[in-house]
Amino acid sequence: MTFFLDRLTSFFHGKPRLTPAELQAAFRSHYKEFRALLTANNNALELMAEMEQALTTGHPFGMTFVRGNCTALSVNIYKMIQHLTRLADGRYTELDHPFRAITRQLEQVIASRSPGTEGAFILPMAEVNANTVDQVGEKMANLGEVRNRVGLRTPDGFVITATAARQFIEANNLQIEINRRLKGLDLDNLEELYTVSAGIQGLISKALLPKELEEAILTHHQQLAAGPNAEELLVALRSSALGEDSSNVSFAGQYRTQLNVSREFVTQTYKEIVAGKYKSQAIVYRQQRGYRHQDVQMCVGCLRMVDAAISGVLYSRAPDDPRSPFVIIQAAPGLAATVVDGSGTTEQLLVSRTAPHSILDRQPTPKSQATLSEAQAAELAAAGVRLEKHFGAPQDIEWSFDRAGLLYILQSRPLGLSTAGEDQDTGKHDVGGDALPIQLLAGGMSASQGVGCGPVYTVRSSLDLLRFPKGAVLVIETPYPDWASLLNRAVAVVSETGQPAAHLATVAREFRIPAIFGLAGALTALANDSLVTVDATAGKVYDGRVESLLALAAPKPNLMAGSPVYKILTEALAHITPLNLTDPASPFFRADTCKTLHDLTRFCHEKAVVEMFTFGERYGFNDKAAKQLVVENSPAQWWVIDLDDGFTPDFDPESRYVDLAHITSVPMQAIWQGMTAFPWGGPPPVSLGGFGSIIFQSTRNPNLDPAVRSAMAAKNYFLISKNFCNLSVRLGYHFALVEANLGEFLTENYVSFQFKGGAADQNRRLLRIQLISEILSEFGFRVEQKVDAMTARIEKKPPPYLLERLRILGYLLIHTRQIDMVMADQGMAANYQQKIMADLHTLLDTPATEG
Amino acid sequence: MPQPLKILLIDDEIDFVETTGKRLIRRGHSAKTALTCAAGLAIIASGWPEVVVLDVMLPDRDGMDCLREIKEKWPTLPVILLTGHASMETGLHGLECGASDYCLKPIDLEALVEKIAIAHRESRPPGA
Repeated sequence: MTFFLDRLTSFFHGKPRLTPAELQAAFRSHYKEFRALLTANNNALELMAEMEQALTTGHPFGMTFVRGNCTALSVNIYKMIQHLTRLADGRYTELDHPFRAITRQLEQVIASRSPGTEGAFILPMAEVNANTVDQVGEKMANLGEVRNRVGLRTPDGFVITATAARQFIEANNLQIEINRRLKGLDLDNLEELYTVSAGIQGLISKALLPKELEEAILTHHQQLAAGPNAEELLVALRSSALGEDSSNVSFAGQYRTQLNVSREFVTQTYKEIVAGKYKSQAIVYRQQRGYRHQDVQMCVGCLRMVDAAISGVLYSRAPDDPRSPFVIIQAAPGLAATVVDGSGTTEQLLVSRTAPHSILDRQPTPKSQATLSEAQAAELAAAGVRLEKHFGAPQDIEWSFDRAGLLYILQSRPLGLSTAGEDQDTGKHDVGGDALPIQLLAGGMSASQGVGCGPVYTVRSSLDLLRFPKGAVLVIETPYPDWASLLNRAVAVVSETGQPAAHLATVAREFRIPAIFGLAGALTALANDSLVTVDATAGKVYDGRVESLLALAAPKPNLMAGSPVYKILTEALAHITPLNLTDPASPFFRADTCKTLHDLTRFCHEKAVVEMFTFGERYGFNDKAAKQLVVENSPAQWWVIDLDDGFTPDFDPESRYVDLAHITSVPMQAIWQGMTAFPWGGPPPVSLGGFGSIIFQSTRNPNLDPAVRSAMAAKNYFLISKNFCNLSVRLGYHFALVEANLGEFLTENYVSFQFKGGAADQNRRLLRIQLISEILSEFGFRVEQKVDAMTARIEKKPPPYLLERLRILGYLLIHTRQIDMVMADQGMAANYQQKIMADLHTLLDTPATEG
Repeated sequence: MPQPLKILLIDDEIDFVETTGKRLIRRGHSAKTALTCAAGLAIIASGWPEVVVLDVMLPDRDGMDCLREIKEKWPTLPVILLTGHASMETGLHGLECGASDYCLKPIDLEALVEKIAIAHRESRPPGA
């Protein structure tokens, strides 16, 4: 801004004259471009803020958000450049260059695809390992490791690869239609979510498999049967999505696994499993985690069924203790599915991790015969320890013993542990304090640690599911995997049955939703809508809200962090938000130094203001454009330039002076009101009275460098129209800029404030800016602070709200010197800060004077 | 209150144009709808609309092509592009072809109404 202040010296040069009417028309059309530029600037800054917030809040967003915002942003910046070029009578076309360069880079970031290697449709299990993960998905890659590198037994079979799935979708040209249906889907509208999900799954299940793919599947199936009796072979088809089970994300139970599939149903089941990628909870899950749907490919393992006598789940460590000396085994007769879907009754064993792997505990105590023999328990524990060692982390393992007594590993994946170090002692923590809360229930198993509080909502059917309110405690009888889609709305889960190995528990742990499973009597003891606090760590439910427990709850992690979409947004923002052009007076404040879209907005805005300011110079506008404001008791000089309709019609354009009564600018009046509402009553003895004294003090200060001194000589300018005001002001050593537009369209409304403080030592300058930042944040401004400079903005609010903010800014402009004093004296600081806030609140209770 | 405007919606998504049209009328504007570019051009040729909201994907013609024809014949008629598929390339291309604005579905009606009113205002000579 100093740049245009410097140019004031050439403000009064004579130029070839236009007729007054032509001049007025030219000025109006320039002002129109200026206003349009400000609107685009307003939109652009808001979009940038929205994108930055997306990174920090942890609210889910997808590629639609990233692509949409980048597009809207580039469109608005394109507009700014267009308006600036027209405003400057054809200059600044060189901005096109950096603009194209930046948008090209952005396009590349957005278009970047996850690497997917093309390959065969089928990979036999013998060839599967960690290196083939891009073809077989993580679940199958891990199983391949178990089989081919650890040397444990896994079912024979093959994997239908990512290439196959991609080919299937592409051959039917489905992705565009799928994306179209998912576009703009409201995740909170469960009914819509289910309808869209069912529609997409139908689309995929009904599509035709490419002929060669179908043949390849059936040929390998035949080979698996190893003989003519292929009709009798039963297989399990297991989903293995790319991105599933990676180190910090497990789509546990999100996708389908189909057991006991006979030959005639293999291809149809395959299609249904591929379609399962769009199950409602998977859509929600991906969206929340920032996975692009087309980046997740559904690979499918086709494995010979194990004739299981006994099956279950093994944790190589206790989920709440990564150093536990025992493994945990859940076992049930038959197939592992009954343990995992939470429906069967199981026994739980703690088995020592060290040979001879003795059983430390068994629940419930076996009456007649134990499900799992001691030898089997020991064999399992040894396998669990080996797998943990191979994968380098505690594992969550599915297993079966067949009728011949052979152990099969069906799956091994990282165990979702509670983060180490967090809530270390909540388990032992008892609710202390004076008023003991009323305990409603106790017992069950901690499926996911933590504390949550909310109203009870019992879900018995899909109908209840649709009505489930956000922030409620989910109370259920059985932890079916289908309830997982409620976990982004629930604050806690209480289930009458089930145990920590259930899929719903895994998902709850990952979402950090506290959950107690196997808590008998929950449905009757917990009445709908009653407020309860669930302490899942201690396995207790209390009546009402128990603050002492909630205080122990860890903050939610940002689920998006580290996901592919998060990375893409972070990369995109590198081309968008960093601001390199901070100083308009710098020789590097040029079109060709604009490196980001933010630089471009900054440059365009600055130059647009300069253009409006120097309009007179370029058009030989008369030298009376700037009118001196007539105010009493103000040694500071204030000059006003009318851009359009900022003066009353009866104002004499020949006059060199203007008084407040002739100013129609609503935002200027509000700023002025804030400036003058309170006499400057700073601590003595700044003397001379009135804020003008600050100016005198400053100009006499011998320590100021010449550059600052010359800028100090500049006057304070208001550029105004009825709805607009741009005020650049120097009071004391501070430079400040207030700009506001308050029109009929919210889209165009904003208040912005830039402040740079000088004079005081660095430390005090920082403290001063800190204080102003805090005050402005309190009043709803979005504040950015860079060393001793700050910008604060509010957009798209109704005029009365913005007028209040302008009065606050007016007050702060005048009283910043007072703030300096606050900073100087620790003892007085609190008092003055209180006085400032008191003043500001008084100010807001005062109705605005007529504009 | 913003002045009532005559708004033409060209979009093949019948649900969208119908509900949006109705809601615009409820706010005191006039609205007509066209499901194809050809039908839209016919209404524009009648001189009726003051602002056009145009979908980028149309059944009979590429929306960008449609935009070019509108801006060739009626250069001062403001056209707002509306699309379900964000793309920086088409967004910028649309503006180069003379579109007043480019917005994405789903769009909040309040925001669309403002964009229409602003596009209309910007298309007028200043002070008019």
